Order: sequence, then C-alpha cells, then structure tokens
Amino acid sequence: MSKQGKGGGAAGKAKKPAKAGADEKGEDVLQAVILADSFQDKFKPFTLETPRCLLPLVNVPVIEYTLEFLASNGVQEVFIYCGAHSENIERYIHESTRWSPASAISPFSSLEFIRVSDAHSIGDFLRDLDKRGIITGDFVLVHGDLVSNIQLDAALAKHRARREANRDACMTVVLRSVGDQPHRAAKARGITPVFVVDPATGRCLQYEEMHPLQSEHYLDLDPAVFSHGEFEIRTDLVDCGIDICTPDVLALWSESFDYELPRKNFLHGVLKDWELNGKLLYAEILDEGYAARASNLQMYDCISRDVLERWTLPFVPDSNLIHGQTYKRVKGGNYVEDHALAERGAKVTRSVVGRGTTIKAGSVISGSSIGRRCKIGKDVRIENSHIWDDAVIGDGASVVHSVLAGSVVVGAHCRIPEGSLISYNVHIDSGIQMPSKPPARISVLTDDGQLAPTDTSLVGPGGTGALYEVAADEEESDDEDGANRDPAILQSSLIYSLEGLNISTSSISTLASEQDDYDTDNDNISLAGSVQAGDYFGSHARDRLSSFASDESASKPDGDFHNDAVNGLVDALRADDSTDFDSAKLEFMGLRLANNASDSAMRRAIAVAFVRRAAELMRPEHGGLELTKAVAEALTSKHGAVKFIKEVGVGGDGVAQQAEFALAVQRALLGELKELEVGRAGALLAALLQQLYNRDVLEEEGILAWWADKRVGEGEKMDALREKCRVLVEWLENADEEESSEEEEEDNEHDEDE
Amino acid sequence: MAPSQASHVPSLDNLIKSFNSQSLEASIESLIFLLKRRQVKGDECAKATAHILRQVVAKSKWRDVDELLSRVQSVGSRLVRSAPLEPVIGNVVRRVLGLIRDEANEDRNADDIGSEAASDIQSLTPSTTPQPPRPRPTPIRPSPSVLSSGLTVSKSMFNLLSVKAPSESPVTGASTPLSQAQPASVHALRSEVMDGIEEILDEINQADDQIAGFSDIQIHPGDYVLAYQPSRTVERFLVKAASKRRFTVIIASLESPSPGSSELSYAALRKKLNAAGVNTINLASNGLMAYIPRVNKVIFSAKAVYQNGGLLVDSGSCVAAQAAREYLKPVIVLCPVYKFCPEDPSDEVSRGELGSPGSYVSYANGSAVDALDVENTVTDYIPPDLVDVYLTNL
Repeated sequence: MSKQGKGGGAAGKAKKPAKAGADEKGEDVLQAVILADSFQDKFKPFTLETPRCLLPLVNVPVIEYTLEFLASNGVQEVFIYCGAHSENIERYIHESTRWSPASAISPFSSLEFIRVSDAHSIGDFLRDLDKRGIITGDFVLVHGDLVSNIQLDAALAKHRARREANRDACMTVVLRSVGDQPHRAAKARGITPVFVVDPATGRCLQYEEMHPLQSEHYLDLDPAVFSHGEFEIRTDLVDCGIDICTPDVLALWSESFDYELPRKNFLHGVLKDWELNGKLLYAEILDEGYAARASNLQMYDCISRDVLERWTLPFVPDSNLIHGQTYKRVKGGNYVEDHALAERGAKVTRSVVGRGTTIKAGSVISGSSIGRRCKIGKDVRIENSHIWDDAVIGDGASVVHSVLAGSVVVGAHCRIPEGSLISYNVHIDSGIQMPSKPPARISVLTDDGQLAPTDTSLVGPGGTGALYEVAADEEESDDEDGANRDPAILQSSLIYSLEGLNISTSSISTLASEQDDYDTDNDNISLAGSVQAGDYFGSHARDRLSSFASDESASKPDGDFHNDAVNGLVDALRADDSTDFDSAKLEFMGLRLANNASDSAMRRAIAVAFVRRAAELMRPEHGGLELTKAVAEALTSKHGAVKFIKEVGVGGDGVAQQAEFALAVQRALLGELKELEVGRAGALLAALLQQLYNRDVLEEEGILAWWADKRVGEGEKMDALREKCRVLVEWLENADEEESSEEEEEDNEHDEDE
Repeated sequence: MAPSQASHVPSLDNLIKSFNSQSLEASIESLIFLLKRRQVKGDECAKATAHILRQVVAKSKWRDVDELLSRVQSVGSRLVRSAPLEPVIGNVVRRVLGLIRDEANEDRNADDIGSEAASDIQSLTPSTTPQPPRPRPTPIRPSPSVLSSGLTVSKSMFNLLSVKAPSESPVTGASTPLSQAQPASVHALRSEVMDGIEEILDEINQADDQIAGFSDIQIHPGDYVLAYQPSRTVERFLVKAASKRRFTVIIASLESPSPGSSELSYAALRKKLNAAGVNTINLASNGLMAYIPRVNKVIFSAKAVYQNGGLLVDSGSCVAAQAAREYLKPVIVLCPVYKFCPEDPSDEVSRGELGSPGSYVSYANGSAVDALDVENTVTDYIPPDLVDVYLTNL
C-alpha cells in the first residue's frame, strides 16, 4: 500500500513506461484480476436478480471479501471482469465509498471494469485480457466469490524466485490443505481436485478432477509423472481459485482457444502438454489461513458458518469492514448491529443481526444470519438460515436451514423446511407448509427473467411466487461449462447435503443423460474416450479400449484432432472463394495421419462439421435459409463434399458404418443444442439423413440399422432427436409410397420451423 | 507485524512511507483498515495513531484551534471505533488533544499579553516556538474586543473538550478579522503541536528502555522470574536486567500448534539472555502451576491499564496472575504511561477479544471443527487486586 489514492495513482502511472522496460523487475505494482462471473447458475433463483458476487454472505456482499483480501495483500491495480448483471456490479462498486475508483480513499490505485460482450466462459475473459495487454507483471487471479485471509507474500516471493530462476515457471496455484478428515468446506465442493505434486519443489505434475457421481472411480496417472521421482497425489486440498500468474499464462490461454475452465481445461491441459509448451506450474500448499469460494450454495452456507466461528478473522462481522456497519459482539456468540432490537424473551444464539431488525418475544434464533430491517414475529423459530435484508417473518413461523432472500414475506405459522430457497420478493401466505422433499425453490421470476404466474397452491391465496423450475433444456443452453455438469447436480439441486442423491436411482439416470452431453459438448474430449459401454466394431475396439484405459490422457490428441479437423472443415465449407472441397479433404487426411486419429474420431469430426455448417446456415446472420435448403447448401455447395462424406465419413459400404455415421450426426446435433432447440435439431437430423439418403451416402439399410441401434434412443434428448426421424424411417420402410411421404415429411419440417 | 520482506503487504512502515505520496484522507482510511484487519495491533497502534494525528495536524486545513480540535477528535474517534479493543489509540488521541489545548492556551495567554503590549508578543512568540516560522507580527491584529469575545468561550479547556456549539457562533462572528490574523498563530500552533506529537512519539519509542532502566531494582540476583508470553517491553526489561544480575527466567507461552513467528522471537530472547549468562526455562502454560512455587516474581506487560487498575492483557496472563496470587508471589506489570486509560473497562474488554479458533483446532480436522464451538479469547482482563506492582516509564 505504498502508493495510494490520487497521488499514488499518478505516481504509478508515471512509473509505468520505465517499468515496462525492466519488465522482469516490475514488482512495484501488484495487479489482480477478479473474475466476477462464473458462467454457472448454482445460485439460481437468487442470481436471476443479483449477481453472485453481490449476494450477502453474513450480511456483507461476497465481493467485499474478495476486494478486502486483495487490499490486505497490497494489490494496487484491480481489473474486474463482469458477465451477467455487470451493470449491478459496476453500480455497486461506484457507489461504494471505499472501492469506487474515483474515491480518494480506495486502497487500489486503479480499479477497472472490463466488459466482454461475447464471453461465454472464463477462458474468453482471459483471452480477452491477453489481447488488451494491460497486465505488466505478475498478477493474482481470483474469483469474485473468494473469502480468504491468506497472506500471499510468501507465495508471491516464492513465485518470483522461481520465475527468476526459470522463465517457464509461470503460475502458482495457492491451495489450502484440509487434512484427511475433511472439513465441511471440502465436503461441500462436489468436485474433488486431485493434484499430483512434487513435494520437494512444489511443482504440479498432473491435475484431475473427481466427483462422487462419476462412473469411473479410477484415476490414470500420466506415465511421465513417474520420471519425476518422488511425487504426492493429494486430494485433501481446497482449491480456492487463487492463482499467481505471469503474463505467460494469458498467452497460454490464447494459444488454446477452446479452454473454458481454469482448472479442468487449463490446468489439466497445460500440465498434460508440458512437453509441448514447456511451462512449469507450481502449487503452494498452505497449512494455515482460510480460503474458500462461495461457489455454490453449500459453500455459501459453510463459509457463513466459518465466518461466524471466526475462522476468517479478520473478516468477521465485528471488524465492520464495510462502511457504515456497526456490529458488536455481544453475549451468546451473537453479532448485533446498532438499533437491532430483540425483545426480552427472544433467544438469539450464534447469530448475526443487522441494523433495524426487530425480534419479538418468544422467538428462538440460532446459527443464522439476519439482514437489516427484518421483522421477526413472536415465537418464530429460525435455525441455521440465511435471511437477507427486509424480510418479514410472521408469528409462529419456523425456518430451518434455508435461504430467504431480500424482502421475502413469510406469513404466520408457516413452515419452511430444510433446504428451501426463497428468492426476492416472494410472499408466502399464513399457515403454509412448504414441501420438504424436494425442498422448494420459490421465485417471483422464471428462469428467463419473466414474472412467473403465482402458484397459489404453493404460496397460498395471498402470496406471490411460484416454484422455480429449471427447464432441462434451459439448463443445457445456459450452462456454459458442460464439463462441470455432473457434479453441478450435486451442487445446485441438492442444496445442503450430498446424502440422498448418491443412492437414488434418479441421479443415476440423470448421470447417464448428462454423460451423453458431456461427450458431445466438450470438444476436447473425444467421443471414443467416453463412449458408453455399447458394442463397437472390431476395428475400433483397440482404440476404444486404449482410450478407456488412459481416460482423458490418451484422448487428448484426439481432442486436438477433433477441434482442428472440425474447424478446418467448417472453414472450407464456409469459404466463398472456392467451390472445391479437395484441398479441405487433403488437409483433413493430413491431420488424420498426423494425429493417428481413429475412424470414429474422423466420423465424429465430419459429422460435427457438417451439422455445424447446416445449423449455421439456418441462422439469420448467415442467410437464415430454411431447413432443407440449409442442409442442401451445406452438403452440395462444394464439389466433392458428398463424396468426401461417403468415402471418409462413412468409410465403407457396410451397413454398420452407415449406422455409425448416422449416430455420429445425431450426437453432433446434440452438441449443437446450445443454438438449436430440440425440435428443430430433430428436424435438421431428419433432413440431413434424408438428403444423405438421396445422395446415396446412406442406404436404406444403414438408416434402419441406425434406427434399431439402442444407443440412438439413450437419454432424453437423444430420444427426442430420434423421434423426429420417425416419419423418415417409416417412409423408408414403405419405400413405395415415396412421393406422398416425402411431401408429408417436408410439411412436417415446415411445421417444425414455424 | 514484523517488517515484511515483500513490499506489497500493507503495514505501518509502508503506511508511514506513503504519507507524502497520498492524501491525508487516504492515509487515515488505510490506517483504519490496517487496524480493522489487525495488520497493525498492540504496541504499534500507539505509534500509528501518533503518526497519523501528526499528519492530520500538518496537512488538514484548519483556521483556528477549535477546528483543529474537532478535526483531531473526529479522526481519533474513527480510529478508536475501528479497533475497540486497542484502548491505547484513545489514549494517544487524548494526549494529542490535550497537547493542542495546552499550546492554544499558551498562545492565547501570549495573545492576551500581545493585545496589551504588542512589543511583548514579538519577543514571546519566537521563544515559545522552537523555530520561529515568520511570526508575522501585529499589523493586522484584531481589536482586543473581538479577540476576547472569541476567547471567553474557547479559553476554558473543558469547553473545548465537549461543547462545540457555543464556541462556533463567536468564532464565525469574528471570522473576518480572525482569518486575517490566523496565519501567524495557526502556523506557530501547527509547528508547536507537531513538535509535541513528535515528543509523544519519542516517549512511546523510549518507554520500553525507560522501563528497562528499573529492572535492576526489581530483579535481584538469584531470582526466578516468570515471564508470561514476554512482549517486547518485557524482553528489553529482562535483557537489561541480565546485564547486571544473575537470575533465571522462566518463559511461559501458550502451547500453540503452529509455533511460527512467536516461537522464533522467544528463541531470540533466549539467545540474548543466555549470552548474558542468564538461564532460561521454557514452559508451556499448562505447566505453569508446577513452577509457580519456585518463582519469585511474575512479570508481564499490559496492553492497557484502566482507571480502576484493571489490566487488558494477552490471553493467558490472567492465569499466571491468579497462580501467582495463590502462592503469594508478586506480580509486576510493565506498562508505559501512555497505556493508562482514564476509563473503566467495557463489557467487551471483560469478555475479551476473540481470535481465530485455528490456534486450538486445526481447520484440517473437519470433525472437530463441526463438533466444537471454539472460542479463542486472545485478550484477558485482570482485575486490579491481582496486581502488585505497576512499573511505568516515569
């Protein structure tokens, strides 16, 4: 904090040019980047109105903890990347007396917001950051939901020493060990990060993620790990997303345009490709200090308790870090702000009570945080709950282990059972019992931000609000990090505990369907790598097995191949200047040889490329062609494309190969579901198959074999896609009624289009 | 807070260095947050407060004494509120306020004389200010009547102390003539007050050494001295005594699971004492009672001494004091004068400040964290009847 305020800012700026020259030594100013959007929706329905980093955690918006953490580590320049609700975050910061960039008392010499209009992942943020070139030296990368009191100076010093010794030591991941009897923070995280670390140097050798729902309970070590001599495999670490990075890290992000997540994609990938990029990543494992991310509701709950128990010291209520807070610790382990009134006879223990809140006689409150200006009636029971500002709770109500957002009104004698989430402005009429299994999520808004029609059977005749449901499809399109999807179920739908879901059959079926998406959504994981245990063909058995054996490790080259191949093909299809497909074909075959890609990988790449092109042509910005025209355009605009599909994509005349290709097309469409709704995707599939049939790429037997394949109907969405082709198949089966059926088919498609 | 190797981490030293480069308000705010984040604590608080008040006097714009007083008061109360369990801050603020009033009083007396005999003031003002900074003499002196009307109210120290409202009206009424007259006296007052604060700082810095000067009176050859969690003050005291006497020091400390820095500093103390030929014995605080019968006296330092003689101390000292009382051993408390508070201990003080439970339960021990409700008090209150000797620097 040697330079602050306006004078400091000016001094910092004057220094910059000189410092850029002596970049390696540029340590005067510590920069930090806050990622204030996680592209997840684990806090819905609350995040429909408020960004995650402004949700109050023990009556303090989460981002305050993050900013204070940075300030306490002497960070001077802060860049905040906002995604959803960016204007709310900006307004909040600008109105804050402490953090506003215009404020003379801000501990940061500069604080900037960076908006990226088309970001869909954290990776997009960081690639954007690389382009801007505002990072001059080492910087700290954190998430906007971090709560930590760690002092980074030791880690920073080590990082610097390593970087000076070796330019390739570009990143230090700060981790907190939590021992073998994991603390609730470790239990709540869903995903268990697995770090393979060299204990002597702290170098990170491999990174994997495990979660309780995965089918494979094995972890495959990269053989290269063994060449390092001693190493530790650690699962006892809480990864709170604090990274100390050099600008090289951003360059790495830019090089790999498909990385989305800092851990699962980036850390894993960079370590995996160590021999290519030569970068060394280190882990700094701390045994003291507190660090956790309020990354899901369970963590939110857990951190709240930790704050109350003062693990996060000095970030505890009675430090009053926010301007205008006046918390004091009083008897019973409570933190009470001025002008909070608990009537005689009310019993409050281990709780936080904000200003202007009144608690009437006979109420029992324990382990909860209660915001400002709340009104709590007589004989209310509140346990381990989070009640935000301006909530009203009627006489005799009981609230157990739930979250009640701002301005919620709970009528008298209501019962809110464990795990309920009641979002902003919901009114619940008197005497209502909320369902306990599954716990209710009630919001006045629907997922797309519209006002939801009040469900009076749920909230009573005088209430407002309806059950908040995440439509399955919506979740697909919103959820940007498909990779996180499986454990995300653990973290979002199950609010407070892991029990129950693990053993219930429903979770297993969800898993199966999610698994499918996982394959196709995630371009860097090959299909072969995670194909379901279906019957495959002799020639592919070998590589399927090998992929299984080494899981993602071996499939990584395939992933690269897939991306390169798909992009190459799509580019060739898009190209306006040539009508020839031969060069693309040549390039594709070259890629195939270079990567030793399997037939299935090729098939998948080709299917994805054509589907993508067809889907693209249907979008308004690319001409908005109608379905059949789009398909025809995709297939025939380039000479030789159809032939290419026939020869390379299908790869033979066998019925089996044709069926496989059809399946690949279907899966590819599944991957495009982000852009298309299911019905349209199904129609597209039918059109594609039909036109391929018309062009003799697929034969009747092939399509029928595909139809009969049991993998085709696996999972809800696959099935939905399949259903759309029923007409086509029936038409094939009754080939003599060709003409009329075709028209019918066309009509159908048009109907879908509308 | 040890001086940090990494320049990034905010600390008092960094803050003091940055005084020149940043605005006053920013400095105050950063100190407040250093206090809130406990990055400045204990003995550093007094020093930090004096430094920041010196900046307030030097940098803020004030036209007369009242304005300066209210400025210092408001900054002071913000500091006090940000660290309610560091009463030293309040003490230093009070000292500075008193200093300003004293200086102002002197000036006014001088003014009174000056209004009667203008020649006197010219000779007097330079003598009171160490370096006379252009004491612009009287050409535009206000008329005696205006001056005295401004003075009658603000002359009394007690008025300055609390009541601000009445003092405002005469001052505003007299603002035109006063504002012309002020530069000289303001300037003089400013430098006087700053010198005064400098003296307070010196006093704070020298207090430990001054107390250590009494060590040979208190520690006798052959003594067994129990030093409970020796602070810097106690360390100096013991080391000074070791240069003259042969005795044995029993260093008791909390058995902390992660020794870290505190362990290191005691190691340095042991080294110094051993070098001077003084034996040291290390003791975990739970072994305290076993050693108490052998001990001749118990020494620790206080964070603050209240009006009733009660002490605010680091946690654990109370046990030592009680044990000593049980065996009728004298308890010597080292406390510089600036730690004497003219107030009674608040509820919060008697309950003690809570630290992180991390020093008793490892965060890694998940089941314990879940099952236990750990309250780790880091301060204790010692009632006055447990203390035998208060040793100050005067």
